[in-house]
Amino acid sequence: MTGMRRFAAERVSALFAVLFALTAVVFVLERQVPANPVRALLGTSASNASIAAKRHQLYLDRSVTTQFWHFLARAVHGDLGLSLHTRRAVRTDIGSFLPATVELALTAAVLAAVLGVGVGLVTARGKGRTTRLGLLAAASVPQFLLGLVLLLVFYSGLHWLPGQGRLSSGVAAPPALTHLYTVDALLHGQLGTWWDAVKHLLLPALTLAIVPSAAIARTLRSSLQTTMRADYIRTARAKALSERKVLLRHALRNSAQAPLTMAGLQVGLLLAGVVVVEDIFGFPGLGLYTVRSIQTFDLPAVAGVSLVLGASYVVINALVDLAQAWADPRLRV
Amino acid sequence: MSKPGRVTTRRLASAACAAALGFTAVACSSSGSSPAATTSGAPTSSAAPVAAGSSGTLHLAFLSDMSTPDPDVFYDIEGNTVILSAYEGLVAYKPGSTTIEPDLATSYTESKDGLTYTFKLRHGVKFHDGTPFNSAAVKASFQRRLDVNNAPSYMLAPVKTMLTPDPYTFVVKLKQVVTPFLDYLASSWGPKMLSPTALKKHGGKDFGQTYLNTHDIGTGPYTLTAFVRGDHYTLTRFAGYWGTPPAYQTIDIKITPDMNSQILALKSGDQDAILHSFPTPELASVQGDSDLKVDNFDSYLTALLYMNVSKAPLSDLALRKEIAEAIDVPDLVKQVYGAYGSVAQSMYPKGILDPSLAPVSYPPKAVKVNGVKLSFGYTADDSGLQQRLAELIQQKLEAAGFKVSVREVQNAQTYGYPTDVKHAPDLLLETNTPDAAHPDTWGRIVWGTGGGLNFFNYSNPKVDALMDKGRANTDKAASDQDYAKAGELMAADYPILFLASSQNVMVWRSTVTGVTFRPEEPWTVPLATLAGTG
Repeated sequence: MTGMRRFAAERVSALFAVLFALTAVVFVLERQVPANPVRALLGTSASNASIAAKRHQLYLDRSVTTQFWHFLARAVHGDLGLSLHTRRAVRTDIGSFLPATVELALTAAVLAAVLGVGVGLVTARGKGRTTRLGLLAAASVPQFLLGLVLLLVFYSGLHWLPGQGRLSSGVAAPPALTHLYTVDALLHGQLGTWWDAVKHLLLPALTLAIVPSAAIARTLRSSLQTTMRADYIRTARAKALSERKVLLRHALRNSAQAPLTMAGLQVGLLLAGVVVVEDIFGFPGLGLYTVRSIQTFDLPAVAGVSLVLGASYVVINALVDLAQAWADPRLRV
Repeated sequence: MSKPGRVTTRRLASAACAAALGFTAVACSSSGSSPAATTSGAPTSSAAPVAAGSSGTLHLAFLSDMSTPDPDVFYDIEGNTVILSAYEGLVAYKPGSTTIEPDLATSYTESKDGLTYTFKLRHGVKFHDGTPFNSAAVKASFQRRLDVNNAPSYMLAPVKTMLTPDPYTFVVKLKQVVTPFLDYLASSWGPKMLSPTALKKHGGKDFGQTYLNTHDIGTGPYTLTAFVRGDHYTLTRFAGYWGTPPAYQTIDIKITPDMNSQILALKSGDQDAILHSFPTPELASVQGDSDLKVDNFDSYLTALLYMNVSKAPLSDLALRKEIAEAIDVPDLVKQVYGAYGSVAQSMYPKGILDPSLAPVSYPPKAVKVNGVKLSFGYTADDSGLQQRLAELIQQKLEAAGFKVSVREVQNAQTYGYPTDVKHAPDLLLETNTPDAAHPDTWGRIVWGTGGGLNFFNYSNPKVDALMDKGRANTDKAASDQDYAKAGELMAADYPILFLASSQNVMVWRSTVTGVTFRPEEPWTVPLATLAGTG
């Protein structure tokens, strides 16, 4: 087995271990909360007998261990149970809310990467101080406040961008292929719908992207500054390569490890930020679903979402690990 | 504020958000010269002239997704506007009153023994699938509610038999006298009429619950043409509606969970109304905006302070009385609600029972205790009223010598208290509303033994017996007396303090007219009477 393959196999095994542990922790924590979701489900006039029967049906009257194994056994088969609030399969709910979050998170990730790498490169040579300070200042503002300010300026003040949802009222969603509106609209040649979806994505994605972009920019900048003092850079310069080529061809890849680690960590923050940002922008994604599920103590939904978000975080970090191993062969050893 | 399965506790970093909101108000309010129109006090009982046949779209927003548009499962508050526009029942409350009037029935009679109800049905009513409404449809609709057996099914539990002697007569016989039965039918959560043809077609294995999670099969003025969970719902005018055609062609309801975002959308003209939970400090900025108007209506929303009678220290009646005296309810209500609420006059919500029959008051008195520790939970709402009420109660109790620790709790948590009352807080602040305009739908669940909103397991067999007597008493005056006595007996035990009757404050674009309200349907507006002038 080559180093890279062994490395990948280790990461995948770790992924399953982490998911198992995550599920167990979420499950135990939930069961410790003294709530009665069944009363909330059946209403204030429900008799104690019907509440007891429903609790039995939902396995809520068994031990935590029994409930956990029951949940896990079904989860392995893709059955995450029935949402106590929406009365639909949690898998169906997640399936309908996840694409909006994926689209938002991907857009935010691309924005964060472009902004982060761009600002990191520009400021690596001591330039772009104002840009860096501006980004830092924006990154220091809490996301809910940043979102509100962006809404005030670009939606309420300038009327440039919409403030709520994925599409304007009256604009029909494009036929579903990927469930990502921007992609589906393009695939069907609906440019008007595509532009409307892009406009709806910009403000929430920017709100999400500012903090990670600042973190990536700062890490890349400091990493590049160290690299640029290395002997081989001096050699490259001695060969009369332009500063741009030195930076992009020689320094960037060797400085990528720290920003990649940072990017992986930022994914977690980005997923956490989704909850707040979707709330402010009324963006119908998994964040909104999560908030609603937590508030109603919809335990199957909370467990399902935790599993999906946790799995996303672990998978993305495993991919980052693999990218780092690719960038720096010493890590494969 | 709470309703089973519904959550209003949804706040986001409240302190800083409030700061942002202040900025919002300054930045967004336009400087109109004329003050906003304010409908104060008594609820509106007559609609403004309706521009029948006009078209256009009304844009509304919900703070949270409704659980389901299935009327036999739905038991929340947010979403009632959708249910009541798509579905109708046999009877309904007259706007702004507790008077029950025919809806899809044209008349009804009650037998002397109170066990048989006969409904004469309206001719020419069509379901949204085009099939006719008749007595067989009523029977199928009632039966479906019993089959689904979800939260609102309790309203039909007393039914013994259902008869359909002819296509436009429906007879229902009860197992025993249940005086609130007609109120159940008039309740916004009461049985609604569903097309039996559609039920058969889409019934599947779950009595059509999957289908009705995204569709409607009612007779109402609007039909649900889009239900995109978490995003938006669209209601479209039903061309075959039997009544006066509604003015708006389309109602677009967006899910906008952030109140600040809703305020921005309202002021920008992208949203036509905020139906509830408008932050009261922001109302001043609205009143200076000629594009907006405030409509506030009396509602059954009542702020309650529960005291944990099942554990020390509040198992002590004397201490509970001292709390009632120490918090100075009149001052509390004046400071927190201002013009948007009043001191509760009775333990029953304003309008359900004559307050002179069962008055309640808590005269303030100087109290001094020696450092009694109290834990205090409250369920918050977006208007900020609950939080301010909790903070002020804390201040007043601490001034009297109590040591009070306050924390926000979620509604679903409060439902767990009865099973673990020893670990529940000593005090709980909630705002609740009854299912219908009948004292039984309040007393039985709030202070009756085992009641769903009786969080700290208060129990008094004499109180329960009086409510049972009232429920079985076909003489309304005598029945009211029974409920009044039950309320008074309970109030003397101080398990709950009845603080305030809260108004439902709505903020509308000035161009919308015809806003009506029923006090037993908080956060809800009948859409059929609305019209746009702009």
